[in-house]
Amino acid sequence: MTGRAAPSVYRGRGGQWAFVTHRITGVLVFLFLLLHIVDVSLIARPDLYDEIHELYGNVVLRLFEVGLLFALLFHSLNGLRVVMVDLFPGAIANERAVLRAVVVLTVVLTALGGYVIMKPFLDGRIFT
Amino acid sequence: MSAPATARPMTGGEQLQRRPRQNFETWSWIFMRVSGLILLFLALLHFAITHIVNDVTDTDSRFVAQRWDNPLWRLFDWMLLALALLHGLNGLRWIVDDYVRAPVARTVTKAVLYSVSLSLFAYGTLTIVSFDSL
Repeated sequence: MTGRAAPSVYRGRGGQWAFVTHRITGVLVFLFLLLHIVDVSLIARPDLYDEIHELYGNVVLRLFEVGLLFALLFHSLNGLRVVMVDLFPGAIANERAVLRAVVVLTVVLTALGGYVIMKPFLDGRIFT
Repeated sequence: MSAPATARPMTGGEQLQRRPRQNFETWSWIFMRVSGLILLFLALLHFAITHIVNDVTDTDSRFVAQRWDNPLWRLFDWMLLALALLHGLNGLRWIVDDYVRAPVARTVTKAVLYSVSLSLFAYGTLTIVSFDSL
């Protein structure tokens, strides 16, 4: 064979996507945690805390909170799947069904929670 | 619990060890499973209280003050702070090891990661401990 060797990229199926998504959601939640420690710590000056905290109620940040819920749910449920496979290697036989359950539960719970979070906006109580 | 195979090459004549020695990476692996299971409850419960049961706009300083009147909620929040930071820190350490290959860049990335995490852990702990009711 001439030229460069084929790239040695592992091409997995569902499990590979779950692995990548697990890492991305993990990093995003960690970054939010860093921000969240700072914004909660403003409580030392309550009026400043309230001023900044009000921002979390606007529609853009509400959408961001729905994204956070998605990341939390996926990372939690997929993490549970990883622990399950570690503890019960026999479960690998049902790997694909379990992964599908993780995805479906994540989407359904995000939709339900997202509806509650966006409700004030949907009701027209907030416009910004 | 089945531990991951440790990279311990067997040399000639060495007896097969039933239990591999538990090194730092094994403990880090176990910690991720245990803290992950605890965080699943802490983090989702925390999110549910502050975004589902209450609207986010209601969780103002009075809400925080009322909750932190109870030392158990302070403990809850501190556990969440500590476990989430450590769990995330360890996860990022794995990610840095996977993708940042140049030795200098890796050392610098980890130094920043550890300093930021440690500072925010101290800051968050101070916030929870030192808060005086309104």
